Amino acid sequence: MDPKILRHKVENISTLPTIPGVLKRLSTILEKPRVTIVEISSFISNDPALTTKVLKMVNSAIYGFPGRIASVSHATMLLGLNVIKGLLLGVSVFDLMQKTMSGLYEHSLATAIASRVIAQKKNLKEPEEVSVAGLLHDIGKVVLILEFAAEYEQAMTEAARRNISIYEAEKKQFNATHADVGGWLAEKWRFPANLIEVIACHHQPTTAKSAPLETAIVHLADLLTRARGFGFAGEKLVPEVHPVAFELLGLSEQDILEVLQETENNMATAEDIS
Amino acid sequence: MGVTMRKITVDKLEPGMILAKPITGPTGMVMLAQGTELNEKWIERVRDMEIAIVSIEGSPVQAIPEEEALAELEARFALVNDKPFMGLIKKAVREHTKGLYK
Repeated sequence: MDPKILRHKVENISTLPTIPGVLKRLSTILEKPRVTIVEISSFISNDPALTTKVLKMVNSAIYGFPGRIASVSHATMLLGLNVIKGLLLGVSVFDLMQKTMSGLYEHSLATAIASRVIAQKKNLKEPEEVSVAGLLHDIGKVVLILEFAAEYEQAMTEAARRNISIYEAEKKQFNATHADVGGWLAEKWRFPANLIEVIACHHQPTTAKSAPLETAIVHLADLLTRARGFGFAGEKLVPEVHPVAFELLGLSEQDILEVLQETENNMATAEDIS
Repeated sequence: MGVTMRKITVDKLEPGMILAKPITGPTGMVMLAQGTELNEKWIERVRDMEIAIVSIEGSPVQAIPEEEALAELEARFALVNDKPFMGLIKKAVREHTKGLYK
């Protein structure tokens, strides 16, 4: 497939017949050039089910202090527009994740938690932003499967048959990967440059220019989540860690153990979010 | 290292269990604090509240036996064992997985 055609399709997501209404409606809001924090906040607050999901996510995966944040307005003030936009997208596509790739929701949630924990260990100023990047890092898979179900299934079969990663299989099938697709979408939805880069580069963390540390974090969080066996992301194998990214993070074996432990604890309370 | 916890339904509560998270009322007010050791009286009160699930201290019950979990872990790492840093990562994940069964 020509990547240009693929990109054009992905960027016109609202017109694709296979994309469910919820994602189209959300896309319309997210792509508005000057959407305000008040608009996003009231969009969430007007939907009780959505409110519950956002608050559970804030209190377990993204923010990590259980029960600390009790209202959407408090969450938006504390976390800022970009994190709330990402959260809104994340909780809205959960059902779609489960429908398109069983286990992808659990994988994404665990990656969000692990990303936040590593970001806190590295004393990053905005661990919540890294967490949102972890939550959304595989969003390209959802859209690829929704629009090209048969082709993607072929890629998954190929990955399993030849013991290659789903990332490699996607390249063969689409001449582009879920990381590319996720990056295009994040750009279309006007997410900040760092978030776009983390999503687009999480498989090749050394290609990140503006956010190499954040990209390395999500790269490792993704890998640890697979290693621990949380959820399913397209293949059963753990990929190799990029050595440069791993050295950049400088984590010891004990650090990794602590990340796994804290992710485990938070997963126990986060799993009923969907 | 953090305290492990598991979530159970209120009908399975037993005296001696320790709350890993506070129990809050509908307004968010804390009714029983984190770290409270449950006795018959508390359990009865909790069952009278409209609460379905409570977090208590202790490892969650795992879906598969330990040997199986460790074998699956080995299989997942099969192609990357000799890659840089993967030995270190596997060791940590292995130790963590074993810890889930303690």
